[in-house]
Amino acid sequence: MTDPDEPQANRLESMALALIFAAVSVLLLALIGVATRTGQASGGWWTRPAFAPGVALAVLVAANLLTLWRDLADLRANPATPEEWAEAREKMVGWLRPAEFLAYYAVYIWAIQHIGYFPSTLVFVLGLLWRVGLTAPRWIWAGIGLSLFMIGVFRAGLGVWMPAPEFYDLFPDAIRLALMRWF
Amino acid sequence: MDFILLGLQQLADPMVFLTMCIGAILGVIVGAIPGAGAAVTISILLPTTFSMDPLTGMTLLLGVYCGSAYGSAIPAVMINTPGSPVAVLTALEAKPFVERGEARRAMSLAYSSSFVGGVLAVLALMLLTKPLAEVAKNFGSAEFAMLAFAALVLVVIGHGGRRVEATAALAFGLFLATVGIETAYSTQRYSFGQSWLIQGIPLVPMVIGLFAMSEALIQLTGRDTTRQTVQLKGHFFSGFLEIFRYKVTLFGSSVFGIICGIMPGVGEFLAQQVNYVWARKLSKEGHLFGKGAPEGIIVSEATNNAVPPAALIPMLALGIPGEELTAMMLAVFLVHNVIPGPDLFLNRPEFVAGLYWTLLAMNFVIILFLLVATNTIARAALINKRFLGVAIMTLSLIGTYASNYNFSDVGLAMGFAVLGYILRSHRWPLTPILLGVVMGPILENRFRQAVGGAGGDLSIFVTRPISAIMLAGLCILLFFTIRGALKARRPREDWQINDT
Repeated sequence: MTDPDEPQANRLESMALALIFAAVSVLLLALIGVATRTGQASGGWWTRPAFAPGVALAVLVAANLLTLWRDLADLRANPATPEEWAEAREKMVGWLRPAEFLAYYAVYIWAIQHIGYFPSTLVFVLGLLWRVGLTAPRWIWAGIGLSLFMIGVFRAGLGVWMPAPEFYDLFPDAIRLALMRWF
Repeated sequence: MDFILLGLQQLADPMVFLTMCIGAILGVIVGAIPGAGAAVTISILLPTTFSMDPLTGMTLLLGVYCGSAYGSAIPAVMINTPGSPVAVLTALEAKPFVERGEARRAMSLAYSSSFVGGVLAVLALMLLTKPLAEVAKNFGSAEFAMLAFAALVLVVIGHGGRRVEATAALAFGLFLATVGIETAYSTQRYSFGQSWLIQGIPLVPMVIGLFAMSEALIQLTGRDTTRQTVQLKGHFFSGFLEIFRYKVTLFGSSVFGIICGIMPGVGEFLAQQVNYVWARKLSKEGHLFGKGAPEGIIVSEATNNAVPPAALIPMLALGIPGEELTAMMLAVFLVHNVIPGPDLFLNRPEFVAGLYWTLLAMNFVIILFLLVATNTIARAALINKRFLGVAIMTLSLIGTYASNYNFSDVGLAMGFAVLGYILRSHRWPLTPILLGVVMGPILENRFRQAVGGAGGDLSIFVTRPISAIMLAGLCILLFFTIRGALKARRPREDWQINDT
């Protein structure tokens, strides 16, 4: 049982994914001579640095190729309809959907170091809520509550350290210390 | 007697007791929120437990683990939406109860059977772990290597219908475990000269990315649905003792859950599905299953609540985690240099005894909390999915960053989030990746020691009796699994996927 809201795959999309996984795993296996060095290896074969990753990658390649072969066999037996092709294209474009949210996340990480944890969290939370359509006042209050919860539990409660942005230095010592400690 | 008193002394520590209550309550709440769940919460909480003492940290995580098994029944009954995959059967059986106006009875059946399953599993943990650890004292590296190998094979077998994908995921996890410096010659593997890879792939960002952030991305990009909750009427304890009219089903399901919890790779979902099928065949009222049968709820809830404490048996006695949540908890052990395995009882008896008692007390705390808070928690289950996604993303950052105070870890978590999102959307299992990462070093080190001690002779695994028995058992299991798969040759079905 999986969540009905999870994106559903179609056969062509699954095959494209299997192809990517197979290609990456073959590439990693091909790099084994470069990526692992025996150094002064003098023990038996079982101690060689390449042994464990070699076995793992060999199994990975075999499993990925088997998945790909199975998908290809399925596709040969039941050729894809034009609708399936169109859906596959649409779904593969959908792979980029999380990229948008991860881009906001990357900006959030950058902002923490430049404007401080609390302001950037507040902006991130409210911005993301607005982006996903939660614009009613109760969601704004919920977002503010979430940001304050983060400060209260993690900064004040558990003492998680965050880098202080440079502009905190502009404040008098007492305020600067409070900002560093809490925000 | 000293051991019992030692455990009670640990439980009496206000910090441990408070943490247990917080963990249990949090577990019930997140278990009731579809999309939150134990894996997401434990992955986010994991780094915060590193600064606690081992018992307190473990208590928090175990509270979430056990509490979520109870909590997942709330939305299953009250909004007919399972809080997690393990509540699917409860939702199926509870729907006719709700339609008959017997939501309270369904809830009572779910809680009471959960309680019996949970308590029996803790008792099994108390009784079985030490004897198993005593047996394990006779194990050498060959046996531990074979045990780790068997656990990984069982993980793959447990993913019926998706075994090839589970093999690929496991192999990927095993590969990830090899990245960084290896110990035999101190050379680097697959780090490509990158300093951030020299120490290997850090566990916390990987776990948070794969399990929490990928879930958040699914919530953010998915659609939200409007659901309604039913109000519970009547006395809380009405129907509470009804479970004892089905003693065989109740105790049989609990024992089955305990056995499945001990076996690596089986997990709650598969245990429950298999048990449900058998219970339906064996019950006199089997024809009522799926139509609102009390036994259906008992099977579902007793089995899934028996699994979490039982899953600790192989981890404490042998140092082998059997599923993703105990694999995450192993990180707490390792951070505090508490080595699970046969010597744990000798080196840290207070820790083990404390763990037993907190687990037992936890079941009572949870049931008392549910006594007063079920209606309120049901409202929490209606939380907007997109808001949940925003909250998980925000919590994920602090979870990832706090583990190492390093923003590059957050970048790594983002990479794993994308991987997790893509794999989830194609129904590829994630659990084998984590188990591969955690078990990989154990398997490699034990294998090296065993084969090294035998001068490179692989027959060490068949000349040592315990190892040979394990290998023979594994071969028989593989034979029947492959034969069954070839015979069945049926299409892959959604219900066979036992986790994310």
